[in-house]
Amino acid sequence: MFCEKVIELLKEAERNPETIDQYNDEKIRQVLEEMHSLYKMNLNDANASSDNRSLCATVQVRHTALERNKRCLLAYLYSRMNKIKTLRWEFGSVLPPDVRELLSDDEYQWFSKYSTNLASYMRSLGSDIGYSGIDLTENLKPPKSLYIEVLCMADHGKLELEDGDIITLKKNSRHFLPTSECQTLIRQGILKQIL
Amino acid sequence: MNNSYLSILDILVTNERVPCRFLHDLPKMGFMDPSAAEDDLKAGATLDVPLWLAENFNSSCRIPLLTVDLPKIYKDAYREILNADACTVDMQKLGQHFYELGCYVAKHDIKGETFRQRFRMLMSASVSSDSIGSIQPLSASERKRAAAAAATERALSGWLQRGDCPLTTANMVANHRKRKRAEMEML
Repeated sequence: MFCEKVIELLKEAERNPETIDQYNDEKIRQVLEEMHSLYKMNLNDANASSDNRSLCATVQVRHTALERNKRCLLAYLYSRMNKIKTLRWEFGSVLPPDVRELLSDDEYQWFSKYSTNLASYMRSLGSDIGYSGIDLTENLKPPKSLYIEVLCMADHGKLELEDGDIITLKKNSRHFLPTSECQTLIRQGILKQIL
Repeated sequence: MNNSYLSILDILVTNERVPCRFLHDLPKMGFMDPSAAEDDLKAGATLDVPLWLAENFNSSCRIPLLTVDLPKIYKDAYREILNADACTVDMQKLGQHFYELGCYVAKHDIKGETFRQRFRMLMSASVSSDSIGSIQPLSASERKRAAAAAATERALSGWLQRGDCPLTTANMVANHRKRKRAEMEML
């Protein structure tokens, strides 16, 4: 039956709507192969000398399958694109290596371009009110207080604060930090807010 | 968004199979019918084909190639069951995409009434602590609703208790970590 491979691909993507999977090169190649062979068979039958009407129907059926394959592949890429957008907002402009390797080369290129676009847009904001750019990925939740207490979840290394102090973020250490400085780290899962 | 070209849900719904009867011979398409021995698909063959294929060639199209029959869950026998007590039907087994597929194929409107009857079940599933047992008979879209309702409920009760929303790790980051940990444990 037609289009079974591509449905497997989509089901895989649908099963984990919250995370991004490894780009499935192998399956996509198989789907493209199926499309090529459909196209070749159609070309053959369309050029056949005896033009009986029923062969025409076969060609139509195959053509529908071709279009269907195309639609499914595009939907797969589109859903990944949306996830990659989310990656930029949640992981920041530099992806950790283990996330990076889940993307294909083209997808990574798209990510870099999206990242650059977003950054230049954010830099252009707020010039009329005296700011040189606003980071839109900050303050996604309204900040409740200027300072918060945080617990460090992973060894992150040194962090330089705005006032010049340098603190070392070691696993299981506790800190009392300005909210604006640790928001990004909390979203990246390195710090955790203690209530 | 539901019916858009790039919607994965819509693709999965149109991938459901519907029983069809072929009106013409289809040369070289015998492989579509697993029980047929010949290379060609003969006229009059009845076969479950995916909705996307049936939709393009049914009797209202320019080239009618097949006639589409209703899947059994929308037929009279099941309609009576659904009318009597919709909650007894295990949608997970009988129609993963009952409502969405119904929008494509069913002429009689049983979806609204079915949903009205099942709504109580859906509500109780979303607040139930036995999540596996109560979610089992729900269809895919009902499950999504139940999960959303449960998440909202949790968020509300959290907010009522503390009156405060702590900053949290971003969704995808947290899930990525969890997956990685699971993979590490498997090795």
